[in-house]
Amino acid sequence: MAIFDECKEAIIQGDIDRARELANQALADKLDLNMVIDAFSEAIRHVGDLFDEGEYFLPELMRSAEAMKAAMAVLTPHLTTGEIETRSLGKVVIGTIEGDIHDIGKTLVASMLAAEGFEVYDLGADVPVATFIEKALEVDAQLICISALLTTTMVGQKKLIEQLVKQNIRDRFKVLLGGAPVSKNWVAEIGADGTAENAISAVKLAKELMVH
Amino acid sequence: MLTTKKSILDLIKEQVVLLDGAMGSELIAAGLPAGAPSESWNVTAPEKVKQIHKNYFDAGSNAVFTNTFGGTRVKLETQHHGDKVEEYNAKAVEIVRSVCPDDCFVGGDIGPTGKFLPPVGKATIDDFSENFLEQAKILAENGVDFFFIETMMDIKEAEAAVLAAHKVANIPIFASITYQKTKRGYFTVMGNSIDQCATILEKAGADVIGANCTIGSDDMIELIIQLRDATKLPISAKPNAGMPELRKGETVYPTIPDDFAQDIAQIVNAKANVVGGCCGTDPRYIRKIAELLKGK
Repeated sequence: MAIFDECKEAIIQGDIDRARELANQALADKLDLNMVIDAFSEAIRHVGDLFDEGEYFLPELMRSAEAMKAAMAVLTPHLTTGEIETRSLGKVVIGTIEGDIHDIGKTLVASMLAAEGFEVYDLGADVPVATFIEKALEVDAQLICISALLTTTMVGQKKLIEQLVKQNIRDRFKVLLGGAPVSKNWVAEIGADGTAENAISAVKLAKELMVH
Repeated sequence: MLTTKKSILDLIKEQVVLLDGAMGSELIAAGLPAGAPSESWNVTAPEKVKQIHKNYFDAGSNAVFTNTFGGTRVKLETQHHGDKVEEYNAKAVEIVRSVCPDDCFVGGDIGPTGKFLPPVGKATIDDFSENFLEQAKILAENGVDFFFIETMMDIKEAEAAVLAAHKVANIPIFASITYQKTKRGYFTVMGNSIDQCATILEKAGADVIGANCTIGSDDMIELIIQLRDATKLPISAKPNAGMPELRKGETVYPTIPDDFAQDIAQIVNAKANVVGGCCGTDPRYIRKIAELLKGK
C-alpha cells in the first residue's frame, strides 16, 4: 500500500511533520495500526543500517528518531493497553554516570531505543548510582544503561553493579555499559551484561537481552 | 620586544613544529578527581599543571597549550564552575608562559562546548560564538601566541570558533577537527567530510588546519594523506595513543611511544607541518618524536 511506503520514506528522510501527518492519515483512513507501526519500525531499522554503513550520521539519525517519536505519539493513544504491552520491548533507565558530563552517545542510544519501541527513562548526565537504582525500581525497568566516557568515571559502572548486588536486586536488571573506553573485558571484569560499539548495535543487544 | 619574536607560522616554514602531548590524561594521572574540570587546577594546583607543561618543553615541544580545553563558559557551567571563566583562562596562560623558553610558543587551547546544534541538541551558532569570543579574548589579552582550536566534531562549531578567534586578536589560528573512520572513510560524527572541513576552515580564516583525537596514530596517516589533497595550508596532526582501556584499575593506552613516533614519521612524510599527541600521549612520546625529527 502506498501509504506504508510513504511512512517508511518519512522516517528515512527524517521528515518529522510528514511522519506525524501520515500517522494522522492512517488513523483517519482506519488502517490497521499495527501494520502502520510495522512500516515505521522497518524504516527506523533501515536508518540504523545506513548509520552502520557510514551513509548516515548523528543529525540524520536524530531526525529519523524524532520522526518516529512524532508518529508514535499520534498512534499510541489509539492502541489498546494489550497492544501497547505487546508492542513495548521493555523499560530502560539510561544515563551518564556521576562525574561525567559527556552525554551525546547516551542521548543517541536513548533515542534509538525509544524509536525501536523501548520505554525509555533518560536521566541525563552526571547521575549518581543511587538515582539509577531508584528510578529502575520505581518504573520496574528491565534494563539499566550506564554510560561513561572517561576511564576515571568508568568505576561508577562498577559501583552500580556492586550496589545492585548489595541490595540483592542484581538479577532484576540487565546492565549495559556505554562509552568509548568500555571493553568486553571491562564488562566481564565487573559482571555487567554487555556493551556495544554504537547506538545501533546497542539496540540490537538490548532486544536480544529482552528475549532471554 | 614581543613584536620582534617570530611567529609560529614562520617556524612552520622552516621546520616541522612539535606540539605537546595529552593534558587531560596527564592531569588524571596526577590525581585530578573525576568530576572536577581540568581547568580548576590552574587555580587550585598550578604547580602540577606547570610541571606537565615543563615536561613537554623539556621533551622538545616547540609549543605547549594552555590548560583551557574545557574553558568556555558553557562547558564550565555544566560542571558548576561557570563563574570562573576569566580566572581559569587567565591563570592558564600565566602558567605556560612561566615555563616557556624564549624560542618556544604558548598556544591558547580552545575545545568544543559539548553542546550540539539541532537536531542533535539545542545550541545555536550564537551560543557558540559568544562562548568562544569570551574565552579567546581572555586568552589573547593574557598573551597567548596563537590559538589552537581542537577536537571539534561539528564543522559549524569549529567555524564559529575560528571566526570568534579572528575577531579578538591578530594571531595565528589553528583549527583541528576530530574525525571518525567509517566504512566510507573519514567523517566527523556530524557527517562532515575532510574536504568540506578544509574548505570551510580556510574560508573562515584558519592559518593551519588539522585533525586530532579519537583515532590512533596508525589511522591518522591515511587521514593526513587525504587532508593534504584537500588543502594547501599547513597541516597539524595530533592522534591518540590508541583507545584507552582499564586494566586492573589502570588506564592503559595501547600504542607505545616507539610505534607512535614511527607513525608520526609517516604523517610527516604525508606533508603534515605540525605534529603532537592527543589522549594517552605523554612526554615520552614527544621526546621520541623530537629525536626522530632531529634525525631528519
